[in-house]
Amino acid sequence: MPEKITKETLEHLLSLSRIELTEEEKKNKEPKLLNDLQRILEHFEELNEVNTDGVDVIEGGKAGVNEYRKDEEKSDFRKEDATEQFPETHGGYLKVPAILEHKKKSTNN
Amino acid sequence: MNIRDLSVKEYGEGLRAKKFSAEEGMHEFLSVIKKEDKKIHAFLSVFEDEALTQARAVDGKIAREEMLHPLAGVPIAVKDNILIHGAKTTAASRILENYASAYDATVIQKLRDSDVVFLGKTNMDEFAMGASTENSAFGATKNPYDISRVPGGSSGGSAASVAAKFAPMALGSDTGGSVRQPAAFCGVVGFKPSYGAVSRFGLIAMTSSIDQIGPIARSAEDVSFLFDAIEGKDRFDTTSVGVPSGEYSEEAVKKIRIGIPKEYFLPAQAGGEGVDAPVKAEVMKSIEAFRKNGFAVKEVSLPLTKYAISVYYIIVPAEVSANLARFDGIRYPKELKKGFEKSFSDLLEKYKKARGYGFGDEAKRRILLGTFVLSAGYYDAYYKKAEKVRELITREFESVWDDVDVLLAPTTPTRAFKFGEKTDDPLQMYACDMLTAPANLAGLPALSVPVKKYEIGGKELPVGLQIIGRQFHDREVLALGRFYEKYLRV
Repeated sequence: MPEKITKETLEHLLSLSRIELTEEEKKNKEPKLLNDLQRILEHFEELNEVNTDGVDVIEGGKAGVNEYRKDEEKSDFRKEDATEQFPETHGGYLKVPAILEHKKKSTNN
Repeated sequence: MNIRDLSVKEYGEGLRAKKFSAEEGMHEFLSVIKKEDKKIHAFLSVFEDEALTQARAVDGKIAREEMLHPLAGVPIAVKDNILIHGAKTTAASRILENYASAYDATVIQKLRDSDVVFLGKTNMDEFAMGASTENSAFGATKNPYDISRVPGGSSGGSAASVAAKFAPMALGSDTGGSVRQPAAFCGVVGFKPSYGAVSRFGLIAMTSSIDQIGPIARSAEDVSFLFDAIEGKDRFDTTSVGVPSGEYSEEAVKKIRIGIPKEYFLPAQAGGEGVDAPVKAEVMKSIEAFRKNGFAVKEVSLPLTKYAISVYYIIVPAEVSANLARFDGIRYPKELKKGFEKSFSDLLEKYKKARGYGFGDEAKRRILLGTFVLSAGYYDAYYKKAEKVRELITREFESVWDDVDVLLAPTTPTRAFKFGEKTDDPLQMYACDMLTAPANLAGLPALSVPVKKYEIGGKELPVGLQIIGRQFHDREVLALGRFYEKYLRV
């Protein structure tokens, strides 16, 4: 079933997961991480012994009954209690780094 | 009378009979924590002022002879992944190091309404990922029975705090055994309710299709009191439905048919997983006590048990990779290490640096593994396959309920192990959950009670007896646990 997780796959997974390892971690931890993931995935292969033909599942949980409620505000939640926890705020809103750059007039193109 | 020795029930009764005040009780616990928790490290934070204020308010109500909940004034230790409004909640992760909760979890709101006093937040494996508390970003908790050994995990701080009598009761959370396994290792009682019994609103989500909040105390009776106070349907958690009310008389308890799943007793093979001989021997003695007292005991077989760990460690990382995406460096953490803000040039780099810095090794491993098993080309082979086997494990449990009402088994394959013994090999650490994870996958209630009375300072390390029941038969499981400790336990 599994194709070996290569160093390239690991780099790709790190990137998808938005995790950057420091240079030190890359040197000291990445080989073990790669080996651990490989061994864990090999262990999972035992599931191939189980015949699951015709088994229907609801992925990610259990079948339940849909819950309806009136669309009305009931919370006593204070917005400030949340926003005060943000690393950076501006006027009571979450401040994020700029995504679009202003082009400066002095640039050559 | 030593206040610290009192059960939850006795503590509440003592307060209402004015044998001691809630404030006196609180001073007792606060001072012992201050003196002795340096050695154990059960707590990540202690609410000294707030706890005393809450206790005085309870004393006021007692003086005015107001109607009080049986748990009023009783102190509780709370696992640090459960939100208490205004209090630091770290989930033992650097990424939440300075985070203060914006609201109360539903279980906290319920306990607040019952005038329970919050003593502090307990240590755990980061984001509840682990079986030893060694994955805490703030240092491990030690087992009060032997400080060279782990207390179990992930709710290790909660179990240790109750064992060390720093608190009469505690809350933990159990996704693959995280309440029961530390309860077994620390010689206390821990209960994983049915999936849907207790609201998870305000529990930091690890694996939403499995997570449950569960009570820990020194007796099944106390655990039952705490369970009664926290269970129930909650409009903030649509998966919560509560459990049927009702008492089990002792006559009804004696009619409970006991099943012994033989796969839960298989010995450890060379290099493989299995149950240690001394653990098996102790649990067999408990089962014998049931048999001698007229219980119907029958061997049953659950052959898919051996696949539970693989299923669990596919589904859990898959959900972890999604649930932990919210820790993005933008909304959390409040602050990272000094100078960090200057070390990135754009948003993407900020995400990567914050998460790289903020998550520990096991969190990273699970995020990566989860991302892998959900990725195109592997989704069917891993995630979907695991969900199918999970369904078969659930059906397999259902198939035995025609013949028996509960299953008795060891809680853990071993007793508390030494620090560092399993940290190098994630598969060995994962195997700690082999006897607890199946109940989680199937959403069943499961209790761990010490097989006998243990004393800290005694020579023995505790062993836990696990009682697994049908979904939403939580009160049946608890009733059998109470019967065991009252009549059968030596």
